Amino acid sequence: MAETNFGTVTQVIGSTLDAQFPEEKLPAIYNALKVPVSRTVLGETFTETLWCEVAQHLGGGQIRAVSLGSTDGLARGTRIEDTGSAVTVPVGEETLGRVFNMVGEPIDDRGPVEVAQRNPIHRAAPRLADLSAKTELFETGIKVIDLLCPLVRGGKAGLFGGAGVGKTVIIQELIARLARFHSGYSCFAGVGERTREGNDLWLEMQEAKIGDTGKSVIDQTVMVFGQMNEPPGARLRVALSALTMAEHFRDQTGADTLLFVDNIFRFSQAGSEVSALLGRMPSAVGYQPTLGTEMGELQERITSTKEGAVTSIQAIYVPADDYTDPAPATAFTHLDSTVNLERGIAEKGIYPAVDPLASSSRIVAPEFLGERHYSVARQVQQILQRYKDLQDIIAILGVDELSESDKIIVNRARRIERFLSQAFFVAEQFTGFSGVYVSREDTIRSFEELCEGKWDHLPEAAFMYVGTIEDAAKRAEELK
Amino acid sequence: MANRRAIVKRRKAVRNIKKITRTMQLIATARFQAALNRAVATRPYTDKLAELVADLSGVAEDFAHPLLESRETVKRSSLIILTSNRGLCGGYNANVLRTAVKHLREQKAAGIETDVHMVGKKGVSAFRFQQRPTVESITDIEDKPRFQQVEPIGQNLIERFLSGEVDAVHVAYMRFFSAGRQIPEVFQLLPLTQPATEGSGSTSYEIKPSAEKLLNEILPATVRMRLFQSFNDAAVSEQIARMAAMKAATEAAQDMIGNLTREYNRARQTQITLELLDIVGGANALN
Repeated sequence: MAETNFGTVTQVIGSTLDAQFPEEKLPAIYNALKVPVSRTVLGETFTETLWCEVAQHLGGGQIRAVSLGSTDGLARGTRIEDTGSAVTVPVGEETLGRVFNMVGEPIDDRGPVEVAQRNPIHRAAPRLADLSAKTELFETGIKVIDLLCPLVRGGKAGLFGGAGVGKTVIIQELIARLARFHSGYSCFAGVGERTREGNDLWLEMQEAKIGDTGKSVIDQTVMVFGQMNEPPGARLRVALSALTMAEHFRDQTGADTLLFVDNIFRFSQAGSEVSALLGRMPSAVGYQPTLGTEMGELQERITSTKEGAVTSIQAIYVPADDYTDPAPATAFTHLDSTVNLERGIAEKGIYPAVDPLASSSRIVAPEFLGERHYSVARQVQQILQRYKDLQDIIAILGVDELSESDKIIVNRARRIERFLSQAFFVAEQFTGFSGVYVSREDTIRSFEELCEGKWDHLPEAAFMYVGTIEDAAKRAEELK
Repeated sequence: MANRRAIVKRRKAVRNIKKITRTMQLIATARFQAALNRAVATRPYTDKLAELVADLSGVAEDFAHPLLESRETVKRSSLIILTSNRGLCGGYNANVLRTAVKHLREQKAAGIETDVHMVGKKGVSAFRFQQRPTVESITDIEDKPRFQQVEPIGQNLIERFLSGEVDAVHVAYMRFFSAGRQIPEVFQLLPLTQPATEGSGSTSYEIKPSAEKLLNEILPATVRMRLFQSFNDAAVSEQIARMAAMKAATEAAQDMIGNLTREYNRARQTQITLELLDIVGGANALN
């Protein structure tokens, strides 16, 4: 761009604003705009740069833009600059170990980041022909996940759950488990969640070491935050910023990259906040009419190509525990593996509160997991399903009225239910149990024996928060 | 929460169950009265018989009858277990069977083999499932046991005892004390335990024909009567257990209906609110 293109702010509505540009030099959709705002806090006045993104062309040189920061202090008539391209974020190895905000500015007080390259956050999804077709299980060492809804290497996994059932804890646990043994890079996007949690995670990553290399997890990780306190525009785009950094690692270094997003629902929510201000008619349950498109554009970019793999794990908040709500429902279709967290299970004190019947994975099939794993997983689900079906009868008539074989199934199901709990590394200070990693082989064997009825004699309490089935036997000894 | 119809369907099903359990509770109450009358009616006879035995054996002091004689080495015993033919009576069968199985284990630990005579379909199927052998299954005794039905069972046991095939016979059943208290127990039917009522032996009777002859007649009758009494006790206990179980079930169903209704109302409200919001939002957006 030869000369800088300037316009004038004509209207400010919450986190959106209108600006007048010369009609022949209209900034393109998604172009970043820069406008200085001066704010007075406690009698002290200072000037900041506010970033905005063009969202609509209103005609007659008018554009409507979404602000990516607070519009406090912005006045009508202020000169606004068109940067000529979309928002760019720094990419490359220099970004590792740092924490950024949505527009790519470091926020960890460690000085500026010098990078050779900045990439725009808006990009087309990889072409169909470039996608990788590999399907491989990604072991987590968490029994319930590895057995029933295994993650896919280079795939997408969603952690669904209502408020306070432990989504963030699972995501942090997965970071602790995967990033620690992971040779590639990790990106973490904090979307509209608590700032405190982001801080906890940052500190924890500094302490955690990768394998025995002596390096901290943070040295291989980029974190991008647009948390609850940020305006909707920032929360809407922060996932894209993190994704852009992850894409660079995938395309340039070919390394396996992990992308963690907590919480993708906030992305939809931010979209809906902005949508009404942009003058779109609300659709079902008040969401933006473009909900599906927005989600699709984001999700389709999170994918593995022939260059490298991006494995993404996303937490998805389920409003009011209603899985039919449009926001989680839209995210649902994009995932390879869905881990549903259920309040009823959390209430029983079983963590992770994964619903073994609702959670599933694309690769739960004999051709991906092998015949043995598949049949054990199905058996476990059958037993639990039968238990669920019998629940009403038990509630009304009592356990004694069940047939002998059903009584055995109920007993076994209660043991399986408890055995699905597991101690977490990141929750050690809460549960008092130290975290355990259970290999897939051990998981399958343990559940196989449990289904065969080999361990029906152990007391139920022995199955809580243990690793393999032998640990349960040991616990039973201690309980005696 | 969107599954309003599913909640309605479930609530309907629970309502139907409640109707059934409520009816069964009423029926059980009526049957309990009848069974109680029968059990109480045989009591005086059983008691008198025991008294008579005591009196007679007081007279004929050195009298030894094979039914009274406990054998030194017990190799084989019989256990007759009284369960019900029908279910829906809570823990009744489970409790009796648990006591019976405990007894079987003790016998086994003492090196005694035990033949199981099972009365009642529930016990038969439970033992079949646990793969425990039974020598006899009796499932034709309904909730009004008649003496003619019980007599052959008693006769059979007596014969087996006398022939030396078994050295002891036990009965596992739910003993009826009162409407509020029934306890599963195992008692020894054969050899007959010496009646403890030694006090009445002081009155001396003149007996004709001889005491021995009378005892020969009365002792087997006592055995049969005792067995019959335990059948009657079991029948009463079963009805009480059913009454209690069905009452609890009716209440549980009522609670569940309450919960489902609340859930349904909430789902309905939520849906109405959402629809209203959609309509209002849409209408406003068009303005």
